[in-house]
Amino acid sequence: MLTRSQSVLPVLLLLATWELLSRSGAADPVLFPPFSKAILALVDMARSGDLARDIISSYSRMAAGLVLGSVVAIGLGVLTGRIRRIGAFVSPIVHVLRPLPPVAIIPLIIVWLGIGESAKIFSIAFAVFFPVWLNTHAGAAQVPRKLLWSASTLSRSRSRLLFQIILPAALPFIAAGLRLGISLAFVMVFVSELAGASQGIGYQIATSHLAYRIDRMIAALMVLGVAGAGTDLLFTFVLYRSCPWLRLLEAK
Amino acid sequence: MNTAVLRDVSVTFGSKIVLEGVSLALHAGEFVSLVGASGSGKTTLINAIAGFVGYSGQIQVPQDIGVVFQDYSVFPWMTVANNIGFGLTDMHSAERQAIIDQHLEMIELVRERDRYPPELSGGQMQRVGIARALAPNPRLVMMDEPFASLDRHTRDRMQTWLLRLWGEHQSTILFVTHDLDEAIFLSDRLLVLTGKGECQSFPVPFRRPRQEEIQFDPDFVELKRVVLAAMKGDTVVMSSRS
Repeated sequence: MLTRSQSVLPVLLLLATWELLSRSGAADPVLFPPFSKAILALVDMARSGDLARDIISSYSRMAAGLVLGSVVAIGLGVLTGRIRRIGAFVSPIVHVLRPLPPVAIIPLIIVWLGIGESAKIFSIAFAVFFPVWLNTHAGAAQVPRKLLWSASTLSRSRSRLLFQIILPAALPFIAAGLRLGISLAFVMVFVSELAGASQGIGYQIATSHLAYRIDRMIAALMVLGVAGAGTDLLFTFVLYRSCPWLRLLEAK
Repeated sequence: MNTAVLRDVSVTFGSKIVLEGVSLALHAGEFVSLVGASGSGKTTLINAIAGFVGYSGQIQVPQDIGVVFQDYSVFPWMTVANNIGFGLTDMHSAERQAIIDQHLEMIELVRERDRYPPELSGGQMQRVGIARALAPNPRLVMMDEPFASLDRHTRDRMQTWLLRLWGEHQSTILFVTHDLDEAIFLSDRLLVLTGKGECQSFPVPFRRPRQEEIQFDPDFVELKRVVLAAMKGDTVVMSSRS
């Protein structure tokens, strides 16, 4: 286990090297502004209110796409994982669509849905759907028979069987799918905001690029990176808090 | 009165005949152990009676049954109390809690009520699994080698807990085991499945409550000898003692 100082040290070293390279002129400070300048740009963005506006905007799109894609994927994954006939019918279709890079469908989505919010949310949901579906399908298919048999002698309710047995038994798989989905959602929110957006972190990067404000671009990228890592941390924190048995199972 | 009656029950998996023409009856409230060599179809018979696998022939069983398996006996995502209460539906919350509390006391896991199964030992988990199956008071409970993975000491204590729970409920119990000492100690009757569709019945002649010392009784040894021979498919006669 790394101590706090051991994990902070490499990051500090990287930032110091970056600052030195840029300030000493070893790297072109226009193309490669020092870290301190990127921080100043970030402070500036925060003061003007742009930062909060962009974060809220990107997060709402991402959350909407993530929820939409995950709900459909979990529902379908349970059906395809548990009911062989549905699985045999749906799986080939999903497997044909799965190798498509989600970014590649954006032009088509723009043609179908325009450049508004619904197009952005749909493209995020599309990307999130596949890892979540694949993992839910695998999780639902591997529920031990004996668990289902035991439960069926104790309760005849199908909804209890679904919500209290199948979904919890598949949860470790679903959670792994959702974590992949979250990282893909960040990619897609950025890509979908590059064109046809008036706010958002992706939009901020695109406009800073046009204005040649490299410091702002880097500042926005840092926000994107921290937001991605933070969201993943928040997800695992909430998951383990609400399902303490998961950590116990993993520790076994 | 019979709790379960099987007539000419056969089970096939593909072209393999796993059970062939088994007939038997389980009387209300009796504790019956099902013994037989590996592959004689003991587990398949339980699965057929519970309706988990398809069969031909006739099986009459009550609607309310419970099962306990050697593994996957508890739901790891539910606390001990919620595991025991899973089958307790259609009743007031206070009544449900009272039944859960009563079972926690009987299996001596009151302090573990809010713990999750991964925090329990193997023996504790099986106690929860057995309490969960018995809590709704079903007429028939089937157990498939529930103590097979436990050490000797834990197994002995589990037998005491099981008899205590059974004493409270008086459900009919069909208990699969490969341990003849365990089968004789626990049961009113042994059923030997020979794999040829034959199901021989051997009454256990000891009064309850039983002490561990009965295993040194000549009748115990004789019954064990006869049952072992029956498991091998030999024709045996019990020697009579005056």
